[in-house]
Amino acid sequence: MIFYIDRLHSQEISYTRLIEDLRSAKFFNNCSLKTNYYDLFFTIILSLILDEEIILLDDDLTHEETLRLVDEMDNCRSLTSDELFLLSKIDNIDQLESLIYQLKKNWRITLFTSGTTGVPKKIAHTFETITRSVKKSEKHKSVVWGFAYNPTHMAGIQVFFQAFLNRNTIVRLFKLNRVSILEEIAIHNITHISATPTFYRLLLPVEETVCTSVRSLTSGGEKFDAKTFQSLCQLFPNAKITNVYASTEAGAVFASSGDSFLIKPEFLELVKIENDELFLHHTLVGQSDSLTISESGWYATGDIVEVLDQEPLRIRFLSRKNEMINVGGYKVNPGEVEEAIRLIDGIDDAIVYGKKNSLLGNIVCADVIRSNDGLTELEIRSHLQNRLQEFKVPRIVKFVSTFELTRTGKTKRK
Amino acid sequence: MALLEIINTVLENRGKSTVLELENNQSLRNDIGFDSLDLAELTVRIEAEYDIDIFEDGIVNTIGEVKNRLKINE
Repeated sequence: MIFYIDRLHSQEISYTRLIEDLRSAKFFNNCSLKTNYYDLFFTIILSLILDEEIILLDDDLTHEETLRLVDEMDNCRSLTSDELFLLSKIDNIDQLESLIYQLKKNWRITLFTSGTTGVPKKIAHTFETITRSVKKSEKHKSVVWGFAYNPTHMAGIQVFFQAFLNRNTIVRLFKLNRVSILEEIAIHNITHISATPTFYRLLLPVEETVCTSVRSLTSGGEKFDAKTFQSLCQLFPNAKITNVYASTEAGAVFASSGDSFLIKPEFLELVKIENDELFLHHTLVGQSDSLTISESGWYATGDIVEVLDQEPLRIRFLSRKNEMINVGGYKVNPGEVEEAIRLIDGIDDAIVYGKKNSLLGNIVCADVIRSNDGLTELEIRSHLQNRLQEFKVPRIVKFVSTFELTRTGKTKRK
Repeated sequence: MALLEIINTVLENRGKSTVLELENNQSLRNDIGFDSLDLAELTVRIEAEYDIDIFEDGIVNTIGEVKNRLKINE
């Protein structure tokens, strides 16, 4: 049985090999940048067995960004003799699974998400919250997953657990080009894909190849336009297309087949809507110091929704309360980018905003007031490339002499 | 600004090497080396110049397709 296939690294790793690797593990590093996804998945599994916290960092973080997130990098330690003994006892996948499901006292998984202030916020999930949406059944055993998310992000982690706990095969599609993706789907008979709308949009237009093996297609983050939806139905003629509402804070909460979401009866008590804003009960949300949970135990999502039906409760997402820019499913905090621009010599001030884009939903733009007239867009971008992840770097920089102000005198993001 | 110039601006902004000339069968992603962020930037820059959103009616893959959308024959 194959666990993981990665054409970029020429890897095809069986569950047997995974167990062998676990049995011969000597070290554990709870926090490191990993470019090889098998190494990352392996470390997550190891952390579960050792019942220790694991911190996930994007592999494209700049050195500066990393230092702002964690105190210590490469926290590598040798395994103790007790731990080596524990690992040496794993003979088969059933034993591995029972270890994974053993009571977790210390285990948690920490991810980072764009905060509302300048610094990304830390969200820790327990085994219960991260696997809450995992569905396990006989039916799920024959699934082959196309892995299309960044594995250090919430959505990627959830796909990993869904696949791993059902002993499915995971085929890497993330960061592959269009031709390779379509080939991988056909070669490995991929049945399930979960990805951002941008990922799907980049597979279009539909040519000769049609992906008949895919039965389930899930998307979240932004909405599909009708045209994209139609083309996807052509490219994946046998797939059921589902939209998921999910966030790093809460994980996947509800799903829909169109743009309206029906709240399942078991969630009714855990969801409320006040002043058009969606609130989730704290039991649905990960732990973080930077998350504000009200005294009564509710977390304000910042998502503005419209109630379509009261009974049963059906809602539609309209917009975000804050100014997070959604770039192909990645959230960019304009405040964080503005802060980085202002640090560049020769710049007085900057405003960062999103501009609608038919490919990525939005792209990041900046209006900049410079004190040094010689400073170019290219120079600003190369400065930022060393400070920020690529998707956060403004793609269009405009030089202006003043900013528009709002009625309250604040500078206005467009 | 000509299409070649726009494409090279996007490439330069990312620190990628520029191209000398464009051929109709060149793929934006495989031959020119654009990723999805570059493609999005390209659409914005083209729209500013030609007032046409090249991705409005679905994805374009080659230089020839871009020219078709812009109705130009360089």
